[in-house]
Amino acid sequence: MTAEAPLLRVAGLRTEFHTAEGVVRAVDDVSFDIAPGEILGIVGESGSGKSVTARSILGMVHEPGRVVAGQISYRGRDLRTLPPKAMRPIRGREIGLVFQDPQSALNPVMTVRDQISEALTVHGMGRAAARERALELLEQVGIPDARRRADDYPHQFSGGMRQRVVIAIALANNPSLLIADEPTTALDVTIQAQILRLLGRLRHELGVAVLMITHDMGVVAETCDRLVVMYGGRVLERGTVEDVFRAPKSPYTHDLLAAMPRLSSDSAGARRLPSIPGAPPDPAHLPPGCPFEPRCRLAVDACAEKMPSLTVFSVDHAAACHVTAGGASIPVLDSPPAPPRRRAEGDRRPILEVTDLRINVANGRRGLWGRQDPVYAVDGVSLQVHPGETLGLVGESGCGKSTLARAIVGINEPASGAITVRTGGAVQYVFQDPSASLNPRRTIRESIDEGLEAIGVPAAERYDESVRLLERVGLNARHLERLPYAFSGGQRQRVGIARALAAKPELLVLDEPVSALDVSIQAQIINLLESLRDELDLGYLFIAHDLSVVRHLSDRIAVMYLGGIVETGEVATVYGDPRHPYTAALLASSPHPDPAAKHRERIVLTGDLPSPKNPPSGCRFRTRCPIGPIVHSDRTICIEQRPALRPAPNGAHVACHFPGELRNGEA
Amino acid sequence: MIRFLVRRLPVIALVLVAASMIAFLLPRLMPGDPAAAVAGPDATPEQITQVRHDLGLDRPVVEQYVVWIKGLFTGDLGQSLQYRRPVAELVGTRLESTVELAIAALIFMVIIGVGIGLIAGSTRAAWLRSAIDSVNTLLLAMPGFLVGLLMVLLFGIYFRVLPTSGEVPLSENPEIGVQYLILPALALALAPASGIARLVQTSMRAVRQQDFVDLAMAKGVPPRRIATRHVLRNSLGPALVAIGIRFGDLLAGAVVIEAIFARNGLGQLAVSSAQTADYPVVQVLIVGAVLIAVAAQLLTEIGLARLDPRVRLE
Amino acid sequence: MSTPPTAKRRNQTLLRYARAFRSPRGIIGAGTLLALVVVALAAPLIGPGGYDQQTSQTLVGASGQHLFGTDELGRDILVRTVYGLRTDLSLILTAVPVSLVIGTLMGLSGAVSKALGALTQRLLDIILGFPGLVLGVIIVMIIGQGWWALFFALVFAGLPGFGRMARAGLLSEQDRDYVLAARVLGVSTGRRIRRHILPNIVDPLLVQTAIFMVVAIFIEAGLSIVGLGIEPPAPSLGAMLNVGARYATTHPSYVLGPGMVLLLLALSFTLLSDALNEAAIKR
Repeated sequence: MTAEAPLLRVAGLRTEFHTAEGVVRAVDDVSFDIAPGEILGIVGESGSGKSVTARSILGMVHEPGRVVAGQISYRGRDLRTLPPKAMRPIRGREIGLVFQDPQSALNPVMTVRDQISEALTVHGMGRAAARERALELLEQVGIPDARRRADDYPHQFSGGMRQRVVIAIALANNPSLLIADEPTTALDVTIQAQILRLLGRLRHELGVAVLMITHDMGVVAETCDRLVVMYGGRVLERGTVEDVFRAPKSPYTHDLLAAMPRLSSDSAGARRLPSIPGAPPDPAHLPPGCPFEPRCRLAVDACAEKMPSLTVFSVDHAAACHVTAGGASIPVLDSPPAPPRRRAEGDRRPILEVTDLRINVANGRRGLWGRQDPVYAVDGVSLQVHPGETLGLVGESGCGKSTLARAIVGINEPASGAITVRTGGAVQYVFQDPSASLNPRRTIRESIDEGLEAIGVPAAERYDESVRLLERVGLNARHLERLPYAFSGGQRQRVGIARALAAKPELLVLDEPVSALDVSIQAQIINLLESLRDELDLGYLFIAHDLSVVRHLSDRIAVMYLGGIVETGEVATVYGDPRHPYTAALLASSPHPDPAAKHRERIVLTGDLPSPKNPPSGCRFRTRCPIGPIVHSDRTICIEQRPALRPAPNGAHVACHFPGELRNGEA
Repeated sequence: MIRFLVRRLPVIALVLVAASMIAFLLPRLMPGDPAAAVAGPDATPEQITQVRHDLGLDRPVVEQYVVWIKGLFTGDLGQSLQYRRPVAELVGTRLESTVELAIAALIFMVIIGVGIGLIAGSTRAAWLRSAIDSVNTLLLAMPGFLVGLLMVLLFGIYFRVLPTSGEVPLSENPEIGVQYLILPALALALAPASGIARLVQTSMRAVRQQDFVDLAMAKGVPPRRIATRHVLRNSLGPALVAIGIRFGDLLAGAVVIEAIFARNGLGQLAVSSAQTADYPVVQVLIVGAVLIAVAAQLLTEIGLARLDPRVRLE
Repeated sequence: MSTPPTAKRRNQTLLRYARAFRSPRGIIGAGTLLALVVVALAAPLIGPGGYDQQTSQTLVGASGQHLFGTDELGRDILVRTVYGLRTDLSLILTAVPVSLVIGTLMGLSGAVSKALGALTQRLLDIILGFPGLVLGVIIVMIIGQGWWALFFALVFAGLPGFGRMARAGLLSEQDRDYVLAARVLGVSTGRRIRRHILPNIVDPLLVQTAIFMVVAIFIEAGLSIVGLGIEPPAPSLGAMLNVGARYATTHPSYVLGPGMVLLLLALSFTLLSDALNEAAIKR
């Protein structure tokens, strides 16, 4: 594999940020190679230093950061010692960069064609030639109707299309290396599958090497040849994807893989997820020894004192660990058994019943000629949630799942239909982004008090009650008087849950409660939610785009597409035997954290979710359906008639004129 | 674009109608009887009644309003009480002076404001930034009339290079006219220009944090081009809005500056009319000032739409 | 547990603003303003005879006896400047806070009902259509020249700025997750505004207040310079510049004295707005 001279060799890289509070060492002693045409993944959680590493290579670390040590050798030239002027021909021409968020990575006031051709003209190409080449590139990255769309502005493109444009810019000068910083994190699963497939294709066609920065082990397993695992600014492990996934030599890598919920898990419900305690370290306050030591179940005394050096286990597999270096193997990470679920005998009627709900999200502003046309983000949805039960609601962004959730708690007004909450039952909401859902100026106690006050708990009793709630979510009285900034993301989410519990709800609407959290934290929160549900007999409406998380937590599942439910049923049934082509595609698009699944047959949907402003006639999925009228032109029924949810033989309900025709990849 | 303008129409119409109503009601809200004022101090009650009838003041208010508005549209702006001449004529003779001053000031304001903002927003030299900051702060605190008075002192006594009093219309003698225009226009423009420089500077600083600036850097775009093509263009919005809002103030500020530099413009007319309760003149000037202020705001919004396709194509 | 949380937070807020005044700009601005206020309060000590005490020495230049010289009626210009400063301060320190409160309430009215919010926005749009000086002229013509006309002109002129800023704050804050969370918990509109929205828009409003203080000084002076300000013989800084301008070339100190005081006053508020702005950004 490494017989060729490496394209890029990073050795002993150290990047520091000199702030008023002291020196933050974001990247420390990081080394790796990339061979021409290879895809190398750098995996890590927030604060691991993975993005800073990528920026260090291009000399684009933000102030006040500086690369203070190491070598960045590109084709034998050390980029670190190049003056800024000499870096310019490297950037863009030799090394292209793809950003995480395609919404903000494009200049809003320049047409996409101008932005692509600028990448060419600054490196010396003539204007006319650059404009032609820009068109070619747009076609190459799969922008449909490129000639017509070329002179549009970024905001006229969907997120996935914008990311394609960013990739086109990065590829403009045929670079030898593409640095992709979380290129699919901001995208939906089906779009992520498209972009990953595109990157793989480009690697084959153009022979470009890719440095893929990501937090997602699934993405690594599906796309990379080799990977580097970073934590607290250090490299903890590196090797080929097969080696690392099969036999991780760093306890961190091992436990991280173990703590991920799986699409195919059958233990759901019976066992909790195995989880890593604690939270990733703050780069400003790293422990003196191994950064993972405080959370490591195998740690010995030496771990707290000295950072272990990388030990080579096989030709291309090395890990930094005092324990495994001595030959010790890593024992299986416990998954605690779940206590039996308390199914109370009491009232088993549904807590929540939604019937034929429609929600108009048009802003209602009166134009000069009458009212605006209605835009139904939710159009004819019915569902039920029972006590102690979790209904998982999945779908891509824009499908209306959050609009629906917000209507249930009274933030959005329904246009028609009914939302019925069992008498006496309160509904509370847990937000996706724990840092946005707590007022930064109010202490944890004040935030929780607000919930207690709402249900009329007298002021004198609120202190004890808040402590009880905090303890319930795994925090304690010490945390009460602190402001949110003093907490990690996972802790803030615990506070958010405690605040919701303060109002004594029977139903929690959980809107992507773990998707903003680091992977090693997600399992903790999922486990917490599970035990709360079982102990308090809560009903959950669990909204997520991550199918494996939904699978682990849910009893039943509903799949939403463009305002309507297309399939619903027991979790095992729907995951095991999806009858709707969209469900099948979603399942197939989700990356598996397993290199063996890399070459499985995958359905990659074409195109984007249509706008609810102008939904397709008949079946709303027909514009992307792999078994619909775009493939079978005789299936006019899909254009003419919107399919209703009908029972399928396996017990699920499916809204498709041709249910069960497409499953698990085989068309 | 057209949709965008159409959406703004109701607000513009509302503001103009309100302005015209306030202007119309002004003499009726003022203490005293307008008819008596017109008739003069020695008039008999019969004469006053006659005047009231001639002016239509004895007809229903709504009817009077309609008549007055009709007049505005047909160019019949009424008679000045003070000068006993048609208002249209009075305004016409002074319009050029004020328009020249306002436009010259606008040009100074834009060039100085955007220029200084661009330098402060793109320089890396800390000393230059703090020097510009200090000058900006000083100018922000310096009202136009104070700048004007200082200029009159400085150029009227010590450096007699530019005239500080009087005017020559550009249409008569552009060369001399410009000389008379420079100082008052500068006095009018400096304070708002420093405000605009501030806005450009701060929004450039914010835009620099955006990902697309990094992307441009990753493309290999040279720093100077990043500053103009990517940063500046995305930073002009707030400044443009401010220019639109300040243009009305600029016009009003002309009233004061004309007094200091002894220019015989609309400002002087407005002052003398307000002091002598010459309401037909004041009414027309109020409607005119609001019309121009609103037009300036609308123009900047069109400019904003030109600048930002997200606004344009909404 | 011992200190109630609200008191604690109030202390934190105060501390934050105290920090704003630790920057060089904050110190100079606050110091200058304080000095000017003290001088204005001490006016009767500086000019025991009042602002209208006339002598036979008319239009003398600056001297040890009359620091800024005397005016056309033989009155000491320094004494009149100090009394003029008093007028200016009494105006802006009352009118601007009133405008702040009314403008903020107008801006927040959208939280009560959408229709009310739209209505007040149209009202503010109308006021914004009138340049500050034009508003002044209209008010002077209706209620006659004097302190109250200036007061109302300043109150009106400030409304659009404060109102728009409060509304922008309301719109950006009311959709934040923590405000929605409070809504889901059933916290009333009034409490939501008091607890979550107001504290988060106080910073920009304070900055705007300091900025508008400067504009208010300009409007007062502008109206006075064209002779629509406070009625003689009472002085204001603008009114003195109005008369002084006639003697500018022969008696520069007539203009320079009140002019510099006016500049200092405006400068102190400009510096304060800068310091507050910086403190708000740093948070």
